Formats: sequence, structure tokens, C-alpha cells
Amino acid sequence: MLLTGEFADREATVTALRALRAKGFDPEAIDLYSPEPVELEPGLLDRPSRMSLAAVAGGVTACLLAVAFVYYTQTSYPLVTGGMPIFSLWATGVIFYEMTMLGAIAATFLLFLWESGLLGRRAFPAPEALDPGRIYLRVRCEPHQLVTAGECLFEAGVVRVKKDKLP
Amino acid sequence: MAAALEIPHDRLRQDLWRPLRGAGAWYIVAVVLVGLLVGWGLFAWGYQIRTGIGVVGKRRPVMWSFYITNFVFWIGISHAGTLISAILRLTHARWRTPVTRAAEAITVFALMIGAMFPLIHLGRVEVFYWLVPLPNERGLWPNFRSPLVWDMTAIFTYLTGSVIYLYLPLIPDLAQLRNHAAGWRRRLYKLLSLGWTGSDREWQALERAMKLMAGMILAVAVSVHTVVAWDFAMALAPTWHSTIFGPYFVAGAIFSGIAALLLVMAIARRALRLQAYLQPLHFDNLAKLLLLMSLLWVYFTVSENLTVWYGNEPAEMAVLGERLRGRYAPLFWVMVVCNFAIPFVLLGIRRLRSIGTATLSAAAVLIGMWLERFLIIVPTLARPRLPAAWGTYSPSWVEISITVATFATMAFLYLIFCKLFPIVAVWEYKHASDR
Repeated sequence: MLLTGEFADREATVTALRALRAKGFDPEAIDLYSPEPVELEPGLLDRPSRMSLAAVAGGVTACLLAVAFVYYTQTSYPLVTGGMPIFSLWATGVIFYEMTMLGAIAATFLLFLWESGLLGRRAFPAPEALDPGRIYLRVRCEPHQLVTAGECLFEAGVVRVKKDKLP
Repeated sequence: MAAALEIPHDRLRQDLWRPLRGAGAWYIVAVVLVGLLVGWGLFAWGYQIRTGIGVVGKRRPVMWSFYITNFVFWIGISHAGTLISAILRLTHARWRTPVTRAAEAITVFALMIGAMFPLIHLGRVEVFYWLVPLPNERGLWPNFRSPLVWDMTAIFTYLTGSVIYLYLPLIPDLAQLRNHAAGWRRRLYKLLSLGWTGSDREWQALERAMKLMAGMILAVAVSVHTVVAWDFAMALAPTWHSTIFGPYFVAGAIFSGIAALLLVMAIARRALRLQAYLQPLHFDNLAKLLLLMSLLWVYFTVSENLTVWYGNEPAEMAVLGERLRGRYAPLFWVMVVCNFAIPFVLLGIRRLRSIGTATLSAAAVLIGMWLERFLIIVPTLARPRLPAAWGTYSPSWVEISITVATFATMAFLYLIFCKLFPIVAVWEYKHASDR
């Protein structure tokens, strides 16, 4: 079942979230929708992220590709310019640096799309219209958990609750 | 500031989305005016392509002139946004929210304009791809070790990063606009908002991405203008072969970037009626930054010229003499007045500091920084080491037209941007107020 609670302020939403977590609801089963980001304490609704790692991996990969490409272009027709070695780190270091950063930037953007869910199809549609100033908390639960989840929302001061079947 | 931050959500949207609706008489007049200038610039460029590069004033020995001046100037202006926005974001400066998007947009447009100049400078623009470091089998013999190849990679990376850095925080606003727009606008916003729903997964991913991007874009921005400086510093030309050219150019870029941002904010404030959002506090903070950069610029300029004077090397002294008391002296002293005297007096004296004087100083700095770029490039080329090769430079109508058109292009792109996207990030502004 999908239980969606509409809240008027951040404090009530956080209270409901705390209660849901205390009752054993997993962060994976909870979604929060808001027109602005809602600041939550650490551990309440953390989403694991590999974005920093992806940025490093993207940078390293792009750097290696840049080194390979520059090495290939310079050795395929070995032309001496300015008395520099054919493959010179001094003369090409800037290119490696810029390509490293480009790889890191591209990887960050791709991971943003992936982790935010904007790339793939969503398993559950979002609430239809986000009312400005309202925060929506949605819980996926088994039928036997419905009452517990509902209690968490009501005790926190939910404005409205909507119950849907899982698509 | 606190009072302004408490503006209700509906009023925020109403105020910040208002400029997106319809087009007033002033807007149409402005678009037509800058459109005509852009058109004239395109005509001049077309004339240059059709007739040949000989229609411009650059001649041996001054082979880099207005075009490369414009290139360096616009790449410098591009530091307005991403750099300033990234610094303010990383330092959690609360006052940044109304400023960042205007700044980030400047970056993207200025980079697009700046990146055009190597192509315009080529003359034969149809062979631009010779700049691309493809393998040598084509027999082109490009010099892969040239700093100009560094330029290409640096600018490409910076442009890509800046577009993403502008786009990411736009997505939530685009999603809100999508929900309220109709017709082609709705289709456009729907496409660009990528199906944003406002879930906490999206917000958390956005926050992480923006933090990472801010750090990376800072590193790239510094490298870009350093590389532009190295275009000059790697040459054994008088006054160019300097170890401080990198930081000197970066400082100048931030200086001119802040000036551009101040000017755009002042125009947007008045034209889009954003007085409640772009407040005196924002201008005051940016004006202080401008003053600080002005002093830093003086420090670098004195260091650069003092070492040349004390070294007393004949070739360098010839260039210094041309700048200080020769053919280029009027431009040099106008530059000093614009970059130092005006901001120092108008912004340094607290009683004189206001939105008007900050805007005036910003305009002066933009003129001064364009002159600075010109004075770095042209006198050195006009006075090479061999006196027999000395020459002069006067721009032709083609170069002047294209230069004027670049400023019009900036205005044109900004006018279009203001009609399509909110110039102040609605969600960021609201979020800042909630905190």
C-alpha cells in the first residue's frame, strides 16, 4: 500500500519521519516530496551515494584516456617542436588536467541523474501537484503495517492522508 | 534582508516569474537594438570571411590585436559566475541566493562569446578543425605542445562544467514552471526539468552534485585563466615571459567578473523590478569584493611593471616606455583611473558607496579591464626585440564592429535568458529564508 501524508511544516514532517523510523520503517520505503529541500538530521533519511567515488573514477578514466590519446597523436607522427621531447609531460600536463576535470564533471552529472532517479523510470509516481509550502511524506507498507504508519503520521499532525494501492 | 527573506511563497513566484510573461515595449526596443548590433557584427564577420583577413587592422608585427583582446576579456568575464557563485556556495554565504544564477548565466554567455574569437581570428574559419588535435596522418602538422591546444581543452572543460553548473539548480525551478506554464513553454520546461518531482532523493542528489561541482568548477576556472595567461607567458616576448602572469590574469578575471555581475544585477534590478530581492546589501557586499580586487589588481600591476623597470632590459623597457609615456600612454592612464582611482574613491569611502556608485565603478572597471587586456597584448607585439621589426596597430571598422557586437550579443543572450528562466532561483531563495 502507499500512504501519503500532507504536512504543513518541516517540524511535523520530521516528527512523523522519526516515528516511522522508530517503528522500523526502512528509508527505502519512505519518500519525501517538497518544493524546496527539507533539512533533515543525519541518519533520518540518508540515501547512500557513490557520487564522490564516481567523480574520482570519472577523472581517473578521462585522464588515462587523455594520456593514451596524446601519446598516440604525438608518436604517430613524431614531429619535434621547440626542442621538446616527443612525449612531454610538461607540454601536455595541462591537457591531462583539463580532461581529468572534464571526466570528473561528466561522471558527477551522470551520477546525479542516476541517483536522483531522473534517468530511469520511477516505480511509483510522485504526488500529482506539489502545493507550495506543503510537504508530502509517502510510505510504502504492507497491509498489516498500515495502521502503524497511519498512527505515526496522525500523531505528528498530518493535514491530510491519502491511501493508494501499489501500482 | 531578513524582512525580504520572509516574502511568502506565492509573492516570490509572482515577482520572480513576472518577467517571464509577455514582452513590454522596453523589452522589444532593447531586443531590436541589440539585435541590430549583433546583425551588424555578423555582417562585418561575413565581410571578413568573404574578402579575407586583410580587411582587419592587424598586420606584422601586431598579429594579435582586438580579437585576442576580446578573447581574453570575455574569458575573464566568464569568471563572474561560476567562480563567484562557487566560492559563495562553498562558504555558505546566505546573501548569495539572489546573485548566483545571474552570475552563472554570465559565465556561460561570456564563454560562448570568448570561444568565438579564436575562430574569428583565424580568418579562414572553415578550417577551424585544424585546431583539433587529431592524429598527424592528415599531414597538417599541428603543434600538439602548443599552449593554444591547452586553451581549447581548458575552455571546453570550463564551458561544459559551467553549463552543467547553471543547469543543475535550474531544474527544480523548471519543474515548478512546467506545472504552471502552457503551450510551447510547458513543453520546453517539461523537457528541461527531466521529470523532476521534488523527492528527497532528487534534492539530496542535487545538493551533493552542487557541492562537488562547486569544488571542481573552482579548480577549472582558475586553470582556464591561468592557461590563457600562459598563452602569453610561454612566449619569450618582452613583458610576457613572466611567472606571475597566471595569478595576475586570474585576479584580473575575477575583478572584471565581479564588475560584470554588478552591472547585470543593477540593470536586472531596475528593468525586472527586483528591488525586493536584489537589495543594497548584495550590491554593498559585491562592491567590497570589487574594491578588494581593485587593490589586488594594483598590487599585481605594480609588481609586474616594477620588475620590468628595475631589470632595465632594453626590449622590455621599450614596451614599458610605450605603455607609460608613448603611443599607448593615454590608454594606460585611463586604465589606471578606471581600475583603481574610480573604485577606490567611490567604493573605498563608505559614505559614497551605494548601488549607483557600485554600478558606475563596475562600468569603469569593465572599460579598464578591456584596456588592460589590450595593453598587455598590443604594445608587446608592436615592439618586438628587433627594432627593425617595430610597427603600429590601428583597428579597422571590421574589428570595431565585431567588438561592439560581442557586447550586444551578451545583452541579447541575457534578454532571451530573462524571458525564459527566472533570474533569481525561487527555490534557493525560499530555502535560504526557511533556514
